[in-house]
Amino acid sequence: MNSRRGTERGPRWGTVAWTAGTAALIAALPWAASGRLPDRLATHWNFGRSEPDSSMPFWAASVFPALIWVILAAGVVLTLRRGGEASRAAARPWAVTALLSGGVLLAGAQASVVRANLDRADWHQASQPTPWLVATLVATVAAGAAGWLVTTRGQATAAPVPPEHREGPILRIPEGQRLVWFSRTINPWLQALAALMGLVAVAAVIALVSGLADSGPLWALFAPFAFASIAVAGCAAVQARVSERGLEVAFGPLGWPVRRWAAADIESARTEHRTPAQVGGWGYRLSGLGTTVMLRSGECLVIRTRGKRKEFAVSVDDAERGAALLNALGSTQSG
Amino acid sequence: MLLRLDKRDTRPLHEQVAGAVRRAIAEGECRPGDRLPSARDLSQALGVNVNTVLRGLRSLRDDGLLEFRRGRGVTVAEGAEQRSDLLERVHALVTEAARLGYSRADLVEMIRGMP
Repeated sequence: MNSRRGTERGPRWGTVAWTAGTAALIAALPWAASGRLPDRLATHWNFGRSEPDSSMPFWAASVFPALIWVILAAGVVLTLRRGGEASRAAARPWAVTALLSGGVLLAGAQASVVRANLDRADWHQASQPTPWLVATLVATVAAGAAGWLVTTRGQATAAPVPPEHREGPILRIPEGQRLVWFSRTINPWLQALAALMGLVAVAAVIALVSGLADSGPLWALFAPFAFASIAVAGCAAVQARVSERGLEVAFGPLGWPVRRWAAADIESARTEHRTPAQVGGWGYRLSGLGTTVMLRSGECLVIRTRGKRKEFAVSVDDAERGAALLNALGSTQSG
Repeated sequence: MLLRLDKRDTRPLHEQVAGAVRRAIAEGECRPGDRLPSARDLSQALGVNVNTVLRGLRSLRDDGLLEFRRGRGVTVAEGAEQRSDLLERVHALVTEAARLGYSRADLVEMIRGMP
């Protein structure tokens, strides 16, 4: 009993200590070097420019970033506390990753600001601390990755699925009948977002072809927007199909790419209510609950594969009958 | 939507496909305005040639149950539910009549002769 209580309390105190400690560090950094800093600190540089373009009074440069950090941490903790026990377990890796990387990023940025202003008489003389910022970004990614790995490795052994949910519904297939089930979900918001980003990419390409501006920045505009547009379009519409071939989930307006599972490879299928907050957002998400294709919150078709014992979920309507048909097909093909 | 094909059915396949979609519409599996899965998806799932599926879908369009729209695929027509239900029963009647040795012309004569 003690150990169980310990496992519940440990993360809570860890979160509090990390949040408070990082906030104190961010606020204290300028004070620690107060004798060597100007009255106003340079706090913002434009990309690629050496001289700063905005500044803050000494006290604000101490308090403001600490305040941002506290609000961010509070937001993460409140989001985590709002869900039920199952969703909390699923959201924990996200929360730990966000807290670790956010804290490292803000503390690193603060250290870079202090470093840039050190021994300057006026904030205009502070040059952009590029190596420090790069080191901060690297540390941020490393901290986030470490947090993610540590929290998900612990969960992989403790399966997130409650045992009572494993047995899904079974549909009775009448003798001599072939049953197929179709369902599709569209998220109009994601479609609009994909269209918008596609428009930006097309505009960049037109400007590129007609030579309206330098090709360097246009390529930098075109490539990410084109990629993001295609990626978002692929997750804006999804079609699920259950037949004697098993489960097939097709993405995007063209129904490609497709993921397939043979009915015999599926151990069980069921439905579950899932929300984007639970799985870390919209689209193709990997979380403690396995893979989820999340287009809208609500009913999801969840399958558990036989060999790897991994879970795949897709948010489609009428998932109950899809799961029932999959279970029926699985039992006839394997039994 | 759930579609059913009877493996023991001896009718031509395109009629079976049309019958399965007609029944799905009559049972409210798909409502007017809903988009049907593509002919390619239907053919793969049902294990039927895509041209056979298209032939079945075209016959449903001719019955006024489906609409083929460029860019929107195949959708269920307005008022298709009642019409589909009635057509389903007419098909059953024709099949039963054929089993008993009556042709379609005989059926038409019978309907005409009704008071």
